[in-house]
Amino acid sequence: MQLTNLVIGQYYPGDSVLHRADPRTKIIAAFLYVVVLFMVSGLPALVLLGAGAAAGIVVARIPMLWLYRGIRPVLFLVLITFLFQLFLYGGDVLWRLGPVTFYREGVLRGGFLALRFLLLLISSSLLTFTTPPVRLTDGLGRLMAPLARLRFPAYELALMMTIALRFIPTLLAELDRIIKAQMARGADVTHGGLITRARNTLPIMIPLFVMSFRHADQLALAMEARCYRGGKGRTLRHKLHFGRLDVALALIIIALLGAALWLGRFR
Amino acid sequence: MRIELDDISLSFQPGTPFAVKALDRVSLMVRPGERLAIAGSTGSGKSTLLGVMAGILRPAAGRVLHDGQALSRKPRLQPGRIGLGLQSPENCLFEKTVFDDVAFAPRRMGLDGERLGQRVMWALECVGLDAAASATREPFSLSVGEQRRVALAGVIAAEPAVLLLDEPTAYLDPATRRDLLERLLAMNDERGTTMVVVGHDMDELAVFAERLVIMDDGRVAADGPADKLLKDEALLERYGLEAPGTVRLCRLLSGCAGREFAAVLDEEQAANLLQEIMGWGPGG
Repeated sequence: MQLTNLVIGQYYPGDSVLHRADPRTKIIAAFLYVVVLFMVSGLPALVLLGAGAAAGIVVARIPMLWLYRGIRPVLFLVLITFLFQLFLYGGDVLWRLGPVTFYREGVLRGGFLALRFLLLLISSSLLTFTTPPVRLTDGLGRLMAPLARLRFPAYELALMMTIALRFIPTLLAELDRIIKAQMARGADVTHGGLITRARNTLPIMIPLFVMSFRHADQLALAMEARCYRGGKGRTLRHKLHFGRLDVALALIIIALLGAALWLGRFR
Repeated sequence: MRIELDDISLSFQPGTPFAVKALDRVSLMVRPGERLAIAGSTGSGKSTLLGVMAGILRPAAGRVLHDGQALSRKPRLQPGRIGLGLQSPENCLFEKTVFDDVAFAPRRMGLDGERLGQRVMWALECVGLDAAASATREPFSLSVGEQRRVALAGVIAAEPAVLLLDEPTAYLDPATRRDLLERLLAMNDERGTTMVVVGHDMDELAVFAERLVIMDDGRVAADGPADKLLKDEALLERYGLEAPGTVRLCRLLSGCAGREFAAVLDEEQAANLLQEIMGWGPGG
């Protein structure tokens, strides 16, 4: 596996409506979407929400391959969720396959939860696909600004989240390099029992940790060298602008979420 | 060991807006015992080429052969066959002492006791470290330059048949650079170790390389005897490189004393030229 080919919520450049929208609109929309996603029950509401997410993907012109690679690392969790539900529930027999029996309830529940999980991934990915990290920080920082009055480090927290996001691909690339360099020196992480294997990951985990701390150190130095003094009194280079586009987008999303809630209230 | 690259192409992040074509239909053969240098401007694909040779980067198209055997999709890297010194090799240090870190690969190969100790000491000396004094120290307490040398020692300690080194002399002080190059030359001479070195410093390559490959934009722009290519200033400049100091000196001297001077690579030869012009006579 080439770790460097992984993308987890990596920004996909574009000039779509979603790309141009105010990050705050998108953050709140993604947040509410997830809340509604967990409030509704029943397939129709979920399908409606799914259609909304699909529309977002189409509008933002995110290629299917990019989307797939964005959620691939977590896909197996979706599968496990499905399998768990599949075999945990009894009820009407749907069909039998040798010793395995599939129950109607299990298939429905498994499918429902897997779909919900998938939509959670897609909707939050849609936010990071269409928003460059810096804009995401600006938006988060602004949204949490009222909390700053209560001495909550709002901007710092937003910055931390962005840095974490930004360093995922970097650390994956570093991890890839370390693994290969150590393999060339004879490190073996794919053979032996559990304890041997755990011990054999040391040549990889220690350099990775050392490197992470080094990165953090250098980043802090670089930020201080450019006079970073925390979030207080900072202004934005790109002013956030909540315009007509955002009003329209907000109305569409509110309509979508409202409809999903209405559909999902039966049950 | 013979390494063959057959029509290799490789892109990073293919199919995305960030796609970068790193290698474009590269074919190359590294002969056993050869001292090959790879040069080129930044981003020309040198390091990628090295990774493909080692078998740690899988090309999108083309074949890599080690001793005539095509590499599988997941090649098993064996210490002792290929030694790989990536950029910033100090990022791979992990043991509690310098000795243990350098001994990692030899131990994997079954060395122990006195032979292990000798091997580690030899490797540490190869990179110009005081073996006795540094062996018990903690790697992370060393300076970055020393860490780099320890990491290189860890690669050399496996006594690989092929050494692939990505800018091994970067961050080293001038005396250690020369020393390291001379040790590498000795290894090549005594043990027949095949060497492929990526480098920027043409003066170093002039001392070290038999054959030079110049990369440009993912392709092999030039491939030939180092002593010929390194004297071709126009060629080097076209690919963002600077000719060795001796070659530039010879060009500057041409016209002096009404004579033309053919480029030389050897520093002593260059010195003799100067002596001639100044009328001091050799050895004067």
